[in-house]
Amino acid sequence: MQSGIVHSRLTALALTFMAIIWVSPFTWLLLNAFDTSSTGQLAWPTTPGVGNFVAAVSGDSGRQFINSVIIAAGTATLSVIVGIAAGYPLSRLNIPGRNAFLWALVLLRMLPAVGVLVPIYFAAQRAGLLNQLGVILALTILNLPFTLLLLKNFFDTVPIEIEEAAYVEGASLWQIVTFVVLPLSRAGIAVVWFFTFTSAWNEFLLPLIFARVQDAFPMSVGLYAAFGRQGAINYGFLAAYSIIYAAPAIAVYFLLRRNLNTGFAGVGVKG
Amino acid sequence: MFKRTLCVAGLTGALMAGTAMPASAISIMYADWLASLVEPGIANFEEATGETVDAIKLPGQGYDQRIALDLAAGTAADVVQMDSFMVSELASAGYLAPLDEMASEWDQYQYYQEGLLDVASYDGNVYGLPTDTDVRMLWYDKSNFEKAGIEMPWEPKTWDDVLDAAQKLKDAGVTYAFQLPAGTKQGEAATMQGFYMALLGADTPEDDRNRLLNRETGQWIGNSPALRRTLELYDTVYNEMELTPSDLNYATDIGAAVREAMANDEIGILASGSWEDACLWDCNGVNLPSREERDALVGWTPWPGSGEEGAKETTNISGGWTIGVNANASDQDLAFQLVTAIFDEENFKSWTLANHRMAVRTDISESPEYMEDSYLAAATKLAADTTGRDTVPGYQTVSALVQQATGDVADGAPVDEVLQDYHDALVDEFGEENVITYE
Amino acid sequence: MRHQGNPWLTSNLFVLGIGILPALLMIGVLLYFTAWAFAFSFTDLALVGRKSVEWSWVGFDNFERLFTRRGFLESLWTTIYFVFFSAIVGQSLLGFILAASLRGMRGTLRTMIEVSIMLGWLVPDIVAAFLWSATTSDTGLINALIVVPLGFQPVNFINDYALAVVTIANIWKGTAWSYILFSAALDSISRELIEAAKVDGATMWQRVSLVILPIIRPHIATNMLFITIWTFTYFPLIFAMTGGGPGRQTETLAIFLYNQSFSRGNLGFGSAISVAMLLIVGGLSLIYLRMLREPT
Repeated sequence: MQSGIVHSRLTALALTFMAIIWVSPFTWLLLNAFDTSSTGQLAWPTTPGVGNFVAAVSGDSGRQFINSVIIAAGTATLSVIVGIAAGYPLSRLNIPGRNAFLWALVLLRMLPAVGVLVPIYFAAQRAGLLNQLGVILALTILNLPFTLLLLKNFFDTVPIEIEEAAYVEGASLWQIVTFVVLPLSRAGIAVVWFFTFTSAWNEFLLPLIFARVQDAFPMSVGLYAAFGRQGAINYGFLAAYSIIYAAPAIAVYFLLRRNLNTGFAGVGVKG
Repeated sequence: MFKRTLCVAGLTGALMAGTAMPASAISIMYADWLASLVEPGIANFEEATGETVDAIKLPGQGYDQRIALDLAAGTAADVVQMDSFMVSELASAGYLAPLDEMASEWDQYQYYQEGLLDVASYDGNVYGLPTDTDVRMLWYDKSNFEKAGIEMPWEPKTWDDVLDAAQKLKDAGVTYAFQLPAGTKQGEAATMQGFYMALLGADTPEDDRNRLLNRETGQWIGNSPALRRTLELYDTVYNEMELTPSDLNYATDIGAAVREAMANDEIGILASGSWEDACLWDCNGVNLPSREERDALVGWTPWPGSGEEGAKETTNISGGWTIGVNANASDQDLAFQLVTAIFDEENFKSWTLANHRMAVRTDISESPEYMEDSYLAAATKLAADTTGRDTVPGYQTVSALVQQATGDVADGAPVDEVLQDYHDALVDEFGEENVITYE
Repeated sequence: MRHQGNPWLTSNLFVLGIGILPALLMIGVLLYFTAWAFAFSFTDLALVGRKSVEWSWVGFDNFERLFTRRGFLESLWTTIYFVFFSAIVGQSLLGFILAASLRGMRGTLRTMIEVSIMLGWLVPDIVAAFLWSATTSDTGLINALIVVPLGFQPVNFINDYALAVVTIANIWKGTAWSYILFSAALDSISRELIEAAKVDGATMWQRVSLVILPIIRPHIATNMLFITIWTFTYFPLIFAMTGGGPGRQTETLAIFLYNQSFSRGNLGFGSAISVAMLLIVGGLSLIYLRMLREPT
């Protein structure tokens, strides 16, 4: 037992050290965010203050925040719904060649997004989708291979014996899926939702080229308001804005963390 | 296929309500750094005509891509702001409306400088009105020149004079003795501030031997003494004499890196442009030292020619942004009326002065308020002998190839090989018949 | 492995089919877009200008140029280095170690670690680039805190060791994903199973290699495939930090592709690069596919 305690203390020490290294690059971000006359150098603030944060939350940023939430939550929710509806049958039905099909699909996404930007734009324009719904659909489509493969993999780990037991007790397909399969795949669904949420939250180019009116821009576009001409960057604004910009996504992580961690412990099924 | 997807997903489409297409008669798209020129113009236009303008302000990032896609798909605003080098590309694809006829009825059109309208022309028609312009020169740090014992005001006559000075600076311990932009990271800046300024003075202007393009025949120059000498200059600076390390060319924020190096007296000579009068301290012009303080710290001199037989004595090339009208605008005359409201003398002049821009119109550049600024007045003299980029379709491609060539040479690749690569890439892009070689 | 005769499935085939339908439609759209990109690779299509409207077919010219022109092969090696060290070794291994050592741990330490790796994942690419250049430049954090106090000359890491710096930056940026995935996967292993192995006298290494790894094998393969693909095509961070330089030292295929498609404006050649990238990762994923296959 003694060695166990020493061991876990060493682990804790190593992990703490790691965390310090991991956050150290943020020194720059904090120093500049609180310097109202920031020059982008690594230096103590010459004129400390919260002016940058005030600038970052004024103007269009309220509307941009709502747009970011609509795009990110919309993409994540649509991805999860479409992914579950297709992932469950793909996991349970013995459709010939389904694995090859899924992997081929993921391969399609190997084409970098810039490679398909032009056809996506023209298709959206023809379909009258140069708006937020179009952004959500496009991001869902681009993410679908990943969400589908991930969800199918998680459904695969749900033991079919439990579903059998539920069926014997008279549950319908709908009940089996909503009361047995989904709760047991909660961790996987949370991972997929979180991933699609953050990738849509950070998407810059699609909202930029899709939006027809300025009011439709999300926060990722607002970030670039810090960039002027000939390399004039307002670093204080950039730093403060990116802290405010990253905060909601981190909050989402903590809201989901319970689900990410709850997982399967205690279900009582041996792997 | 796409439509059917819509039916399924369209049920979730309550979102569309807030983002429906605007219905106003006229729209405009511009980058946010130009807002202080465009927005008062819009206000005046709305007041005069009673129309509502639908304005969309974009960040500078991704602006070029959006404009190309928008114009190609027919979704662009009626009035668009664009970099002057894009004008010919977009005009050649039929996306822009020619302005000459509409402009001839506008009384202020006569004041625009001919050379700057040329930059925004294609096939003899003007497709954009310039917002401002710039000139290019060699900046130098006076305290370093003093340390190296170089006489000031510095007036180099040939490339050798520049290299000699740089060698003295290097010997005096200056890290970036001659910062000559190279590589792909800074895009157009490497072509304009470095390569083209040298190229123009590398050989005689006859037959456009000192350019990238023979403008008479429309053929790109795949190899020439001027190209070779220019790349050899890069080789000398970066490899042979090691006058500067190349890290400023690849810094995350090149502008800030140059500013910092200048503040620390690490730069000797800097090949750049007229905006550095503010940008060396603060591009936004907020925390600028006084005129006298700036003049005590840095000086500038025109780029000298190479000293070769028949080459120009000094060189210059200008860029800048323009505003044009979409060929598919529902009402082109109304759209042009918005352009004239933006460029109306009162609005245009106060913006030019407030932002220390170089004027593009004689009624502004000859006004007493403008002449008062000694720096702008001196820099504007350089513009008299300026030249534009090769405003034919394909320039953007050639410029990217030039940047690659400078980067490769600076990184140690042999000049012969790099020139061969450049020639081959031109042939790939434009075909054998459109590429020539000068001996 | 699946029981074909499960009555709650077989009696509802129609409903299940309807469920797949939206995904199938979206995949159709994606296929359609991809077909465009394939078609582009046989043309001289340009981003702007005349050739953006009057393009023509050029056969295999673009593919031939991948090998006869400078750029592609060098970038391929840079990319392989970058993907191997930052994704496969860095993110995947580190993510697993973190997930395994934080498993079951509660309290501030875990929260602290999670917040710090999440911050890396969530901070915008452009800001991450500024953070890392401020950390590794000659006046940066490492020099100010470590190198100079120890009495050495400051080292301009980002210029002198560019590829190593962007590789480390990408580990920092991307480990969160592997960590989340492995955490979720490890949670699916019941506690009793590991306790049982402990009681049987298995060492930690044996517990990991004989009990844990076989169970989460599909997750490992999935993770490897995803991060390989993402890292192969990932470009904003390197692009902002070094733009592919100095010279071509950090020019990965994604940056090469961007430069050719958007700076040079040659969408045809760019598409050929995309297609080549697809084929290369196709080969890699065959390896992962073998890993995924259950040993029966």
